[in-house]
Amino acid sequence: MSSELPYDLWEPVIGLEIHVQLNTKSKIFSSAPNHFGDEPNTNISAVCTGQPGALPVLNKEAVRKAVQFGLSVGAEISRISTFDRKSYFYPDSPRNFQITQFENPLVRGGRVSADVDGARKTFAINRAHLEDDAGMLKHFTTFAGVDYNRAGAPLIEIVSEPCMHSAKEAVAYATAIRAIVLYLDASDGNMEEGSLRIDANISVRPKGEKGLRPRIEIKNMNSFTFMEMAIQSEISRQISLYINNPNKNPIDLIPPGTYRWDPDTHQTVLMRRKESADDYRYFPEPDLVPLVLSEETIDELRTSLPELPHDRYNRYLSDLNLTPYAAASLINEKILSDYFEEALKICKSPRSLCNWITVEFAGRLKMSGKTLIDIGIPPVHVAHLVQMIEENRITGRIAKAVADEMVASPGLDPIAIVKQNPDYQPVGDLSTIEPLVDQVLAENPQSVADFKAGRDKAFAFLVGAVMKLTRGKASPQIVNDLLRKKIEKK
Amino acid sequence: MKPLHHFSALELRDSFVRGEVKAVQIAEYFLKRIKQHNKELGAFLKTLEAKALLKAEELDHKRAHNKPLGKLAAIPLAIKDNMHIEGEITSCGSKFLKNYKAPFNATAVRLLEAEDALFVGKTNLDEFAMGSTNANSAFFPAHNPWDLKCVPGGSSGGTAAAIAARLSLIGTGSDTGGSIRQPAGFCGVVGFKPTYGRVSRYGLVAFGSSLDQIGPMTTTVADAALAMEVIGRPCSSDATSLDFPPESYSLPTEMKEIKIGVPWNFLENLKPEMRANFAASLDVMKSLGAKIIDVDLDVLKYSIAVYYIIATAEASTNLARFDGIRYGVRSKQAKTLEEIYEYSRKEGFGKEVKKRILLGTYVLSAGFQDAYYKKAQKVRTLILDAFEKAFSECDAVAMPVAPSGAFEHNSIHDPIEMYLQDIFTIPANLAGLPAASIPSGYDSRNMPLGLQIIGPQMCDVPVLQYAHAYEQATRHLRIPPAYEGLS
Repeated sequence: MSSELPYDLWEPVIGLEIHVQLNTKSKIFSSAPNHFGDEPNTNISAVCTGQPGALPVLNKEAVRKAVQFGLSVGAEISRISTFDRKSYFYPDSPRNFQITQFENPLVRGGRVSADVDGARKTFAINRAHLEDDAGMLKHFTTFAGVDYNRAGAPLIEIVSEPCMHSAKEAVAYATAIRAIVLYLDASDGNMEEGSLRIDANISVRPKGEKGLRPRIEIKNMNSFTFMEMAIQSEISRQISLYINNPNKNPIDLIPPGTYRWDPDTHQTVLMRRKESADDYRYFPEPDLVPLVLSEETIDELRTSLPELPHDRYNRYLSDLNLTPYAAASLINEKILSDYFEEALKICKSPRSLCNWITVEFAGRLKMSGKTLIDIGIPPVHVAHLVQMIEENRITGRIAKAVADEMVASPGLDPIAIVKQNPDYQPVGDLSTIEPLVDQVLAENPQSVADFKAGRDKAFAFLVGAVMKLTRGKASPQIVNDLLRKKIEKK
Repeated sequence: MKPLHHFSALELRDSFVRGEVKAVQIAEYFLKRIKQHNKELGAFLKTLEAKALLKAEELDHKRAHNKPLGKLAAIPLAIKDNMHIEGEITSCGSKFLKNYKAPFNATAVRLLEAEDALFVGKTNLDEFAMGSTNANSAFFPAHNPWDLKCVPGGSSGGTAAAIAARLSLIGTGSDTGGSIRQPAGFCGVVGFKPTYGRVSRYGLVAFGSSLDQIGPMTTTVADAALAMEVIGRPCSSDATSLDFPPESYSLPTEMKEIKIGVPWNFLENLKPEMRANFAASLDVMKSLGAKIIDVDLDVLKYSIAVYYIIATAEASTNLARFDGIRYGVRSKQAKTLEEIYEYSRKEGFGKEVKKRILLGTYVLSAGFQDAYYKKAQKVRTLILDAFEKAFSECDAVAMPVAPSGAFEHNSIHDPIEMYLQDIFTIPANLAGLPAASIPSGYDSRNMPLGLQIIGPQMCDVPVLQYAHAYEQATRHLRIPPAYEGLS
């Protein structure tokens, strides 16, 4: 019996629906501004508040961004696509129907690749289409209000195939999608603000079983960390249910429902059971004509595609010689990758720059939750720091101290920091180091002999001794060279 | 000089432009007529006295200073109350919107205003344009100026009555299944439904989105053509608006070489009186040089079924926005969200509206959509094809506007019989064709009858040309006796 299978012979099956809010200037069907964070009900028009007599007119910019997304994932762009009305009553819906693309979506198929635990995986996309966003309900003590600023914002809904088999894969897929829309400048991709929203559909089945078992949906996961937690927790819950209830019918164990992730309790909470499939009564939107795209338009959009994440990733590997891990850590956050490239203009040491950006500085800022960009350290400063190391003007140890100061006082150029602190002055000039080297050699004849006899450790000891005398400020390279030269002469 | 209400719109405009009459004089005259007669006619839901007088003063000022005057200068104009005049109530003949102030001008309204029309009032209609009698208005019914015991037709019954009684010289109606043409026929005036997309629907409260068109209702075809010159243009706020430039309507008086198609088989059940009137109209057209041929439009027998599926489906979603949340009347009884929806709609909508919303929801619902909505759309294509074939043989199709003249209030109780009133008008909406209704004589009760001329898509100009030629040769137009005089 399949339910007697141990935990690790169960396979999670995950599909993601990602809603990406496009960053067009105006909304998808109205000229009202498409902007987050303003006073409620200020970015509205007759169309997006469902006034009688108002009519939708399709935003061409939204179409362009959706087509570019489709091209970025190698999908098929429908030359003719249409819009449909999806009916349901809710106060955040100004017309009590959404305008979406049910029957003939703009984008079909497609795939994205991402690294999962060091292995490159490819995930399949089923379709992507345009639709309008709903407003936002706000609950107060004795009443509720609706803010229609968001109503009518352009969305691309991207539906994956149920092709992910772990929470990590789901995160990798979602990260890759997000990176693409950032690189296209199609969206802010901000999960906290809601410009990128992910619904996960999760089921499990014994490995090797072909069909799909009943699934549930989780919404409201506003970070990749939470998403991974939520999905993992749901996977465990479902597998446990099957294992502990070997004789029960899957549909009874996992009744269809929608859950939301509670970020405080770190639990999924049931929002509503789906007794029966909702009847949205989809039918063609009579107020919009079919969207017809010419070959010229699609070609023009294809040639104007910016560098995409996987192109940049490959470039980092081949041209800049970064390791896959280092490249991956940069490209997913476009703003960071752009930062890196700015710094690279000044300092041509990609590996070192990458390390300083993604490890050293990132580590220093981890507790604050902020990034280099947030706190205002410009790329040129990081470039200067790395330059000074590469040119042997400061040691690694001093660089770390300088970095601490840069984080404490963002905006201070490390060149200035070093200049103003005598302790950071590289002692690179031979006239200061040489006598110290002579002194060490004179004081440690046994070590010199040991080294000549073949014990490399003795050399390191000698280097250390010189460094001690220079209070760590001497350039290690210079000390090395000097010691070797002098020992040879002896 | 004849009384102002005996003028056509063109004549009155020219008279004003020549300085023979002042705009304020015109405004006061027609406002007085409205005041005198609206109670018995129920044509207007609202009179716009202040607005009309203000505009009239403006026009007199412009004229006095030789400033350019619009094509519709000083013409009294009635707007059906399902189209927005910014700042004025658009009630749609419904309790639901009795407090709703239009937040913007309908494009057609804006265009008319820009040509210096004098808006005198918002006219009565069947609630949300659903009906053929104007009896479905939530406020009060409208009456036929030819016989107050009879209906003026619907849903633009208020405009038809207003024009027929000469309370206004031009009016706008909206036509989804015949709501301009049928009341025009019942009231003995001219009504024109343009090609779908010729006139912008922006600012018209939607009923059947793929069927609705705004059009003029006037006393002469030339006046209708004048209105069409103004409102028949592309609109960037309506995605279904046709991207064709406005047209000018030269109106010859002959029909030489024109082939008129008549679907005799489809008309086989016409009452003898109607058939005689229709045949007489055909004779007139023959005398003008037209050739009458038979065309096959048998598939039109499915029109009513197709229409009541598609129109109600679209309407059920178009009226979903009336939920008591954002605007309109919210039920005072409602305490929960569900109750807001349920009670506001229960209290706000009339019976016919509820019926059509239920029907429209049903035909779209899971398990039924294929059999009803999708099937109806397929038959709609057959109707389009049938017309296309007919138009390959003729220039225009002629039919009566309605199966009879105007009937008495409350004389039709069977809903199907009521729906069948639109049998001749619905096809032009389904196929998006331009169609005109012109007075074609009177029945044995002396009630007006109408001839309908339907053309291919984008043949709005030819249709009005044929209508004009017919009108000039027949001159059936009359003012109803009760409204001829000055009092």
